[in-house]
Amino acid sequence: MTWLTWRQYRAQAAVASLVLAAFATVLLVTGFQMAAQWHTLLAGCTANGTCGNLHQGAVSLGSPLGWDFAVLSLMAPALFGVLVGAPLVAHEFETRTCDFAWVQSITRTRWLAVKVGWLLLAAAIWGGVIAALVTWWSGPRNAAFADAFQANYFDQQGLVPVAYSVFATALGIAAGATARRTLPAVAIVIGGFIGMRLWVSQDLRMHFMAPVTTFYGVAANFNPPAGSINTGGGLINKAGQLVTGSVGNVMIDGVPSTSLPAACRQLIPASASGPNGPSRATLNAVYGCLQKAGYRQFISYQPISRYWAFQGIETGIYLAVAAALIAITFYAVRRRDA
Amino acid sequence: MSWVVWRQYRAAAAITAALVAAFAALIVVTGVQAASQWHSSLAACTASRTCGTLSSSTLFLGSHAIGFLVILTLGVPAVLGILAGAPLLAHEFETGTNQYAWTQSVTRRRWLAVKAGWLLLAAAAIGGIVSALVTWWSGPNNALQANAFNPGRFDIMGIVPVGYAVFATALGITAGALMRRTLPAIAVTLAGFIAVRAVIFIELRRSFMTAVTSYFPIGSGFTPAGSAWQLGAGFVGANGQPLILPLSTNGAVIGGAAGGVGLPVSSLPAACQQLAGNGRLGRAAYHAVVSCAQAHGIRGYVTYQPASRYWAFQGIETGIFLLLAAALVAVAFAVVSRRDA
Repeated sequence: MTWLTWRQYRAQAAVASLVLAAFATVLLVTGFQMAAQWHTLLAGCTANGTCGNLHQGAVSLGSPLGWDFAVLSLMAPALFGVLVGAPLVAHEFETRTCDFAWVQSITRTRWLAVKVGWLLLAAAIWGGVIAALVTWWSGPRNAAFADAFQANYFDQQGLVPVAYSVFATALGIAAGATARRTLPAVAIVIGGFIGMRLWVSQDLRMHFMAPVTTFYGVAANFNPPAGSINTGGGLINKAGQLVTGSVGNVMIDGVPSTSLPAACRQLIPASASGPNGPSRATLNAVYGCLQKAGYRQFISYQPISRYWAFQGIETGIYLAVAAALIAITFYAVRRRDA
Repeated sequence: MSWVVWRQYRAAAAITAALVAAFAALIVVTGVQAASQWHSSLAACTASRTCGTLSSSTLFLGSHAIGFLVILTLGVPAVLGILAGAPLLAHEFETGTNQYAWTQSVTRRRWLAVKAGWLLLAAAAIGGIVSALVTWWSGPNNALQANAFNPGRFDIMGIVPVGYAVFATALGITAGALMRRTLPAIAVTLAGFIAVRAVIFIELRRSFMTAVTSYFPIGSGFTPAGSAWQLGAGFVGANGQPLILPLSTNGAVIGGAAGGVGLPVSSLPAACQQLAGNGRLGRAAYHAVVSCAQAHGIRGYVTYQPASRYWAFQGIETGIFLLLAAALVAVAFAVVSRRDA
């Protein structure tokens, strides 16, 4: 059976290797350029003691070509699901080759297990090689911009691309086994993959763990560790309610002065709405008033230290869904009359 | 023949119509919300005369999830090419149904003309509807961020999505005619669509028309009007040659071109560097350095495509893709006419 699988897929394996080789060439060439750039920058700023300013947007790193390839890697899992996953069972049904395959001495379950096993392994390797290249390539960018935890960057690096790849392929196999035709299975993979990825990354990911919330005084400043993701924050009153408002003449702690209690608002002179904003003395008076009234600021965030925990959780979710999809496939193939 | 095409595609048409309707519902609901949010912000800032401070950092319009969905419409043409274009001929070859279709009283060329014609029309309609929804939805954000001309935004609004959709579908049809199998045709369609789009949008689009370069005196700034597409910014010396700037601008900086590019003091002639001394620039030293740089003929420049060319660029790019599509369809006709049944 393993030999049969190899015979069926050796052409695809060759094409996939070529695509990976081309991808690797682009990322390696642009990656080494970017790493050299980064080391020059670091050497320069270490010499004059200005490395602290590096991340403030004054750095240009990398090449557009490498960047485009990194973004394209987001759809590599779907590609594998469409071209390998969807036809795996569906194409056998369509061309009726399953009639031949299923009347040999090998049981259907074993036939399916060997094919599915090898191809999911191939999907994991496909996702893993691409993820390893993109993760290495992004090293200098991650260090300079501290954005590896942000949506889209998180999705290109580390472990999760492996799980996306396995999931997309399992989705294709299950869709093909239930729809019995390749094109509808392809459509299901595209829709299902994009839908699942959007849902998890937009709605679920920030709730994997309860965010850390830090409270601090109205006059203070607090920044979570670099690279963390802010999930909320603002000024709250004594009862813990968020003070709202986003546009105004005079902004205090990110809210317009009109949202503040009257007792504090009257401390702001009319001159504060000029181009220079409120004076230091005015600010101190308002802060003192707000503090007395029990106002505080807060920030909720997912700390950067949870990066690998989040990668692990998301990988686990996709692998679990993939396992469920494979179970459906086995069920569908075993029940079907040949 | 039109009846045959309708019978073949009515299920697909129903599913597509349902998907487009669902997309339209999401877009209209969130778009109306964003528009009313935008109008109340405008009313509030007009009353308090703070509209100058409105920016994408203080005001967020619409919803993140729908914003994502809108970006994903970049992939709609590719999906049309894969699901409608690639199987059009390839699936007939694969299942041998072309042998039946081609031995009827309808000629092959007519058979292909009607099928390809209706399908390309449908692709144009879907591309147009999606683009119209996205263009309307993006109205407030275009006004707020003035970025409709930027790569990525330009590609999902206006008429170019129609060109992309027709091109991708034509590419799928031709790939299917040449490869005679659906899956390889799908792979070729996907790779070809991404490659052609990337070449045009990375390499060619910026030079559809000669870019405008504006020079401005150092110490002041310049921002092109409206939703211009900024291609580059920097500084030139007296001879008009661009100054080579270091990768990172640590240390003192003077002047600010559009895009926040500053001129590091270390790139100035030695005479001006002496005026700056070490460490932070004081106000007096700053003015001395700026006038020294001006005396040496150093000016800032911004290279851009003005906002007024937006529709010209849309037209040029759409034209390119429609021409490519026509060439591809011609190839498909040649292949089908010559192929032994």
